[in-house]
Amino acid sequence: MKQSPKEIKITARMQPGVITLSGFLGEDDRHYHEIIADDEKTLAAYGFSPEVIADRLEYFTNASFENFTGVEFIENLYQVETEVTRGKLPCPFSHAGLYRKTVTTLTNTKTGVTIRWSGLNIHLIREHHFFEGKGSTFRLEPELLIKTIF
Amino acid sequence: MFLQIISDIGATALISVILAVILVIAQRYLNDYGICKININKKREVSVKGGSTLLNSLSDQQIYLASACGGKGSCGACKCQVLTGGGPLLPTEKPLLTVKEQQDNFRLACQIKVKTDININIPESIFNIRKYKAQITEILDYTYDIKGITFKLLEPVKIDFKAGQYVQLETQPYGKVKQKTMRAYSISSKPEDTDSIQLIVRLVPEGICTTWVHKYLKVGDEVRFTGPYGDFFIRDTDADMIFIAGGSGKAPIKSILEHLQVVGTTRKMMYFFGARTEHDLYLTDEFKAFEKVFPDFQYVPVLSRCDDGSKWCARTGYIMPYLKDAIKDPKKTEAYMCGSPGMLDACQKELLALGVPQDKIYYDSFA
Amino acid sequence: MNISPFILFWAAIFTSNILLTNFLGMCSYLSVSKEMESAFGLGVAVIFVLTITCALNWLVYYYLLVPLHIVYLQYIIFIIVIAATVQLLELIIERFSPALYYTLGIFLPLITVNCAIFGVALFMIIRNYDFLQTLAYASGSGIGWLLAILMLAGIRSRIKDKLIPAGLQGAGISLIVTGIMALAFVGFSGIVNVQ
Repeated sequence: MKQSPKEIKITARMQPGVITLSGFLGEDDRHYHEIIADDEKTLAAYGFSPEVIADRLEYFTNASFENFTGVEFIENLYQVETEVTRGKLPCPFSHAGLYRKTVTTLTNTKTGVTIRWSGLNIHLIREHHFFEGKGSTFRLEPELLIKTIF
Repeated sequence: MFLQIISDIGATALISVILAVILVIAQRYLNDYGICKININKKREVSVKGGSTLLNSLSDQQIYLASACGGKGSCGACKCQVLTGGGPLLPTEKPLLTVKEQQDNFRLACQIKVKTDININIPESIFNIRKYKAQITEILDYTYDIKGITFKLLEPVKIDFKAGQYVQLETQPYGKVKQKTMRAYSISSKPEDTDSIQLIVRLVPEGICTTWVHKYLKVGDEVRFTGPYGDFFIRDTDADMIFIAGGSGKAPIKSILEHLQVVGTTRKMMYFFGARTEHDLYLTDEFKAFEKVFPDFQYVPVLSRCDDGSKWCARTGYIMPYLKDAIKDPKKTEAYMCGSPGMLDACQKELLALGVPQDKIYYDSFA
Repeated sequence: MNISPFILFWAAIFTSNILLTNFLGMCSYLSVSKEMESAFGLGVAVIFVLTITCALNWLVYYYLLVPLHIVYLQYIIFIIVIAATVQLLELIIERFSPALYYTLGIFLPLITVNCAIFGVALFMIIRNYDFLQTLAYASGSGIGWLLAILMLAGIRSRIKDKLIPAGLQGAGISLIVTGIMALAFVGFSGIVNVQ
């Protein structure tokens, strides 16, 4: 498929070592358009919009943001911990601005599932509907995500 | 036939060459803005060849504004105040400047070109910033994920910084990483050591630079960095001081205390070191030793999780509850904090509630 | 072809509008028509570049290509001339009129690849226009193009907040709007025939 210079640039920024150590695409050999389209289908099947998911993730991150040394219990169900490291990351889609390096780890005590996401994940989901490629360190499986955080 | 082809190609080439020559000549004369003067802070003036961006013109003069994206207009780090000569605000700058900044004539130095004489305001501390080449002389393991690395300066051989400032380390390509990146780390050695610096680096999962520092660098390697940057340094007053820092945030505090040890001080000081478990504590003996150096200094590690039988269980949980007893006269107290934004936010709220003035709270946010 | 430059000028604007009857210069027409302000800037730049490059290309064609018998290379030569001229114009404007550069300058490189510019250059050759006719036709086409993009920008700013089916948003609805506009312009086409 022919790619526009903008798409080539975005794909280049998603490669390992450009913005993050392992990149955004993992072992996924699909184009990022396909990744987004497939995940949008999954979301639609469950009746959730990316914005709702991003809001929910942001809610957990903010709720545990000031608790810098330990685990926060939220809604008697979730164990949430947010760790912030120095520096900020740009968005691979070249949005203006930088996103803080936060990593939020959440465990659903009922299902026992643990997931984690970064501040950039929230932005990517809200603005670009991008959950990252399969095998990427911060890939969020939409199905698992919905079952865990709602 | 063959001659025809050759002559046609020749004619086309000739036309192209003529146009190219015209363009080159035009470039030469039209793009020549002569020598432009950049007036900085109404104090000093540098002369540069016009036509290039303000960011590049300044860096040619060894004045390095911060820039994370390398002049692409996407990070907004190179903001500076342009009083006259900047031309109208460009569409590429607008998204990165707040309304207030636009009113105050803040511009992105990487976007505006120097075409006339220009008046700018930049922080005075920027003049100290240099590019350094340095060699690693020592790597210490402080904890399972924190290392202290000492660099001996090769070129230039001296650095002039204030205790608390930071440098930007440049990583070289390694493994899957194909390009150079810059990351900021606080200097942990005292400013009196002018021929070397120490940085404290915590391994961040997925971190491009910290992984490089932790897994690839070894004694003897040469690295490059720029600096010093930042306005996080102690104010010369007689107010009491409270330090709050966790993890690698200890670096600037170490620099400050070692500096105070050299110059001497009688100020009342207290340092709260926030950590998760005992395994995250480091340089404890060294900091305890400061209690004997200074007339009124206390080092207080606060652990959020305390294993049974540990000698550090005296204070656990959050730092905030312990701040109250530490402050004698809130109006005469300065707070210096370095660490995660969450911790800073929480502690700042508590300090304000206790009556410490906002302008006496200094912090080096991980931003 | 024997047609007064004056008539040709008006014909190029209305009856055979380069954009609405020939559908040339579509890419920048669609992408820069979101706001009136930038549409106007681009339109003015098109008039400017179109007139100058066509005049130059006419001279190059009749005084270089024809005598040298390399008329078949006109496509390559015209493009080189257009690209070089745009570069030169950009440099001159940046130097002598910074104010104009900030409104026009960013659009100039966009125009290098605008097919309306190239199209007009080819039409003037095919239709055997003389130098004055070429000037009239080129400037008229530029004004016509400006008119078309201003109309589209006006319409787009009005339908921006209206409910448009998801599949038609953006370029889709713009093309439909352009089609309807073109139909209206075809109504003029009987008045004069310059094709």
